[in-house]
Amino acid sequence: MTGPALRVRGIRKTYPKVVAVAGLDLEVQRGEVFGLLGPNGAGKTTTLEMIEGLTVPDAGTVELLGMDWKRNGRAIRARIGVQLQGTSLFNKITPREALTLYGSYYPRRRPAAELLELVQLTDKADAYHVTLSGGQMQRLALALALVNDPELVFLDEPTTGLDPQARRGLWDVVRKMKGEGRTVILTTHYMDEAEVLCDRLAIIDHGRLLTEGTPMGLIQSLAIPSVVELTFDGAPPDPSGFQARLGQEVASRGDFWEIPTQDPKALLPRLLEAAEAAAVPFVQIHVRRATLEDVFLHLTGRSLRD
Amino acid sequence: MLLLRQFLMEWRLYSRDRVALFWTFAFPMLMLLGFGTIFRSGSAPAFTVVVSADTRASQAGRDLLGALERTPLKLLELSPQAADARWKKGETATQLAPASGGFALKVNTYLAAQGQMAAQIVQQANLAVQIRSAGAEPRWLPVQLESPGSAHASNYAAFLLPGLLGLNLLSMGLFSVGMVNVSYREKGKFRRLGVTPLPKWIFLMGQILHRLTVTFLQAALMLLLGRFAFGIANQGSYLLLAAVMALGTGCFMAMGFALAGFAQTSEGYAALSNVFFFPMTFLSGVYFTLDSAPRWMQQAVIVLPLAPFLKALRAVFNDGAGLAGHGAGMAIVAAWTAGCFMVALKRFKWA
Repeated sequence: MTGPALRVRGIRKTYPKVVAVAGLDLEVQRGEVFGLLGPNGAGKTTTLEMIEGLTVPDAGTVELLGMDWKRNGRAIRARIGVQLQGTSLFNKITPREALTLYGSYYPRRRPAAELLELVQLTDKADAYHVTLSGGQMQRLALALALVNDPELVFLDEPTTGLDPQARRGLWDVVRKMKGEGRTVILTTHYMDEAEVLCDRLAIIDHGRLLTEGTPMGLIQSLAIPSVVELTFDGAPPDPSGFQARLGQEVASRGDFWEIPTQDPKALLPRLLEAAEAAAVPFVQIHVRRATLEDVFLHLTGRSLRD
Repeated sequence: MLLLRQFLMEWRLYSRDRVALFWTFAFPMLMLLGFGTIFRSGSAPAFTVVVSADTRASQAGRDLLGALERTPLKLLELSPQAADARWKKGETATQLAPASGGFALKVNTYLAAQGQMAAQIVQQANLAVQIRSAGAEPRWLPVQLESPGSAHASNYAAFLLPGLLGLNLLSMGLFSVGMVNVSYREKGKFRRLGVTPLPKWIFLMGQILHRLTVTFLQAALMLLLGRFAFGIANQGSYLLLAAVMALGTGCFMAMGFALAGFAQTSEGYAALSNVFFFPMTFLSGVYFTLDSAPRWMQQAVIVLPLAPFLKALRAVFNDGAGLAGHGAGMAIVAAWTAGCFMVALKRFKWA
């Protein structure tokens, strides 16, 4: 059991009108929870599909658990678990049947009842797939990904469409997987999720790797540990005048101003004084620690949710 | 084991779709009932001849009409104006009216087949009248209705039933199996299977086995209906019949899978499958025999699998014959089966 769980070298995928993935290198160690982060259309899903063997890359190599798709396809499939984005099953299959059927494809399998319990679907175990809600389908997809007791689990946008409570539930399941020694590779566009769950993450945009590291490391690399936000009632005024007065960068976003700072304690008195003098009509002041959102903003100049 | 499980799951999911289940079994039986009733043997097809009423004006005309009344023709006597109007509307196939020096027949080119048949019978009645007026009695050749291979008299429903069985296999393969596969792939229902170690051939075979049992059930129902509604019995061995049916099912299912591999979308598939379906059904003797088709066409058609399959099926079912003499035909069907399955396996994509 040595070597990384995943090693990707220079994978590329071009579709007729768009370059989905433009040369990507990744390495994930065994037992890690690794996040692929990026806005919609960044190439996360295509990357994952090439790694999962659903899409053949135009160039580059993919090595999973020390094996490659060309020679060890079946052996790889037996040891990985995959939750696809929007897993679609046959309409009239029930969760229990699906788990039993998909389990039967593997040499090693976990009992359906145990998995249903894990994702809290026991009371829907015998309902047809079409009758499940979006969140329930999502949880069934997660259970399916674990049906073969996999060493390596792929989760593509696992919490999209889940309510906050179900999201927390899923986070617990992921933590449990990590506790059991599984390697988890997930994609998400929720920064808080990535920050809470991932040991390491890669931020990608336009099919390229922007940066890679631990959530803490990435945030610290910004060298702006804190952000002060001034919230306005309605559209904020143009910050350029105030920026000159304060002698510090002030960015306008939505209905608030954002002032990144290394030392919020020193900034606040100065800021309040300047705001008072300039009669800035803000309604709230809020100091927060920098997040991955700020990292992304810094790297691309765009917000992740745009 | 895996294959058995896959097969059982196919059946279980299939049996939950009540509408599909009902029509799969009801449709071929309705077809058989419909066609069989229209062409029921014994009630000879009634051809209608429109008779212009002024035919009755002369003694010769009355004699001819008297002779016509003893034929199976249906006579519709109309005033010359009404007969003319009906002819102009294109509803009349054959019309009898006085003409200079006697009578004349008009046959509608649209309805030439039935029109000429009726005209022939009128000609015969006319000849009989002439022979009788010469003091003699016409002597008819004896006609015996008999099926080519067996002692049982055959009828159109008996000819049709194997054709419908074959047509049913073809449409299930091309439309149900192929279409379902394309649309499921389109909706991403196979993607999840693609990340499991399930081999493609087991997935395909599971579906083929499932459809095989469906077609056997369909065939059994149609045979029962044929027997009790039309008195059609299988003249040959049921074992041979099952063997031919099994090969046919495999062939047309595999064809559906193979074609499914060439279409990206359901719309594309619909067009593609018709390209195969229509030539095969019209040229392969489902509805009529190909004896009157040009020779080159008969030979071209023989390399398509439906024609040899139907020939073998009819040989067993209608004539009670063995498969001797159908070796080449069965080999063609088997070659299509193997070829299509390989292509299907090669082209099959989970996503």
